[in-house]
Amino acid sequence: MLSLYCRLIAIEIRAQLQYRVSFLFDFTGTALVIGVEFATLVLVLQRFQNIAGWSLAEVAFLYGMVQMAFGVMDMLFSGFDPGDFGQLVRRGTFDQLLLRPLSVTLQVMGSKFILRRLGRIFNGIAIFAWAVSSLSISWTGAKLVYLPIVFASLVAFYGGLFIIGSTITFWTVESVEVVNIFTYGGTEMMSYPMNIYQDWMRLFFTYIVPAIFLNYYPALYFLDKPDPFNFPYFVHFLAPLAGFGVMFLALKFWHFGIRHYQSTGT
Amino acid sequence: MRLFWELAKLSFQRQLTYRAANLAGLGTNLFWGLLRAALLIALYGTRTEVAGISIQGAITYTGLTQAVITLYMMFGWYDVINSVNTGEVATDLLKPFNYFTFWMAQDLGRAFGGFLLRGVSIMAIYALIFKISLPTALDQWLALGIALILSWMVSFSWRFLVNLSAFWTPNARGIGRLAFTLSYFLSGFLMPLRFFPNWFVDLCNLTPFPSTVNTVVEIFLGVLQGPALIQALLGQILWICILVVASQLALRAGIRQLVIQGG
Repeated sequence: MLSLYCRLIAIEIRAQLQYRVSFLFDFTGTALVIGVEFATLVLVLQRFQNIAGWSLAEVAFLYGMVQMAFGVMDMLFSGFDPGDFGQLVRRGTFDQLLLRPLSVTLQVMGSKFILRRLGRIFNGIAIFAWAVSSLSISWTGAKLVYLPIVFASLVAFYGGLFIIGSTITFWTVESVEVVNIFTYGGTEMMSYPMNIYQDWMRLFFTYIVPAIFLNYYPALYFLDKPDPFNFPYFVHFLAPLAGFGVMFLALKFWHFGIRHYQSTGT
Repeated sequence: MRLFWELAKLSFQRQLTYRAANLAGLGTNLFWGLLRAALLIALYGTRTEVAGISIQGAITYTGLTQAVITLYMMFGWYDVINSVNTGEVATDLLKPFNYFTFWMAQDLGRAFGGFLLRGVSIMAIYALIFKISLPTALDQWLALGIALILSWMVSFSWRFLVNLSAFWTPNARGIGRLAFTLSYFLSGFLMPLRFFPNWFVDLCNLTPFPSTVNTVVEIFLGVLQGPALIQALLGQILWICILVVASQLALRAGIRQLVIQGG
């Protein structure tokens, strides 16, 4: 199972590296998009100094973490990108996957592995590394253990959103642009401290989509910042529950969708 | 000339046809606008005015930038590149019509349709949610109208020029991605240019990009007035001349380079 997945991915990578110049352009382009957004923040903060009490380095901690996690997810779950997956459904190519004696999830996961996402990942690493080196975080053993857990939870969370978005296309057939609000919009939102948003927005991303527990609360814990919303202390550690919880529900929904899948007949 | 308007009209109608897509796009733009507004409100904190822009103006700015995305195809426009990749370019070049004007007409229809559907409606929604600043005087509205048309022309000729790279290289999409990222970075789309350090603004002003988003925004907010406004409009005209001439030269050279693929 795993070796088959690795083979599918290896083929994907080799195919993309055939066009070297094209890959290089794509990679730089992707890196540049994130680069200019962060650069804008750096330049503008020279005038404003901080965002609601968060310094540039502290925001960079949030920003870098989110970009790294979303980039890794976007590469691993390229096959579940709702825009591309919608095409599988529309063209009826999804039927082929159902005929093969293999897990459908594995086939979709292995169908795409977009290498140019490395641009976003490297950018996220650079921003995060700069944040950690310029903040004097008082590291403890618990923090060092929790950091990779938070990262994995974020990847699971975004992956879950992609899977939900793809599953919806079983019914809508068209790709649903609204899903972008949660995936790309959620990433953008989580790149900044959550206390800057209006109440209805923040409550939505707390109770309906549990985004606040995946980046904001863990960051409060790592940076020893006070919680402006006075939640009980344990919410700082809800990241794995929120991230893998969303992934679990997404997979349930995905299997439900497959059971009710009706081909477009094309 | 008749043909020009017919092409523009067709492309305008095509833009209006996709109602669901337009509605979904509107929702996405609105959400993004609200995120940017929250960020700016947090940045302002207790300040009421920064670099001549009031907090109300800053909120209006976040709506305006979302409103012009379709007008300028802010995140990239690859139609000419695609037509080279599919080989469609061959039949387009055979038509007894200037290739630049052929695309310009279609882009005019698309931009106008997009501006009406997405641009005007997002500002209307903004006006319901926030207290926004609006141009007050008639001549300000007039200047805004002129600046909008000129800014579209700057944007189109730049996008066309970038797309022509497909006549030389199969990697034109990658070039386009770099070029379009650069143009939205330097145009004042991410933040009002007035918020940036002076050296950066000077750098931006060496490029045609502030003539799109930034000029329109500053006229709308009323921070650009009198001689400075006239200068900005003249700047737009200058950039249009430069970019149109450059496109024509590149087109002439490119046609000799072009390899038609597909069939």
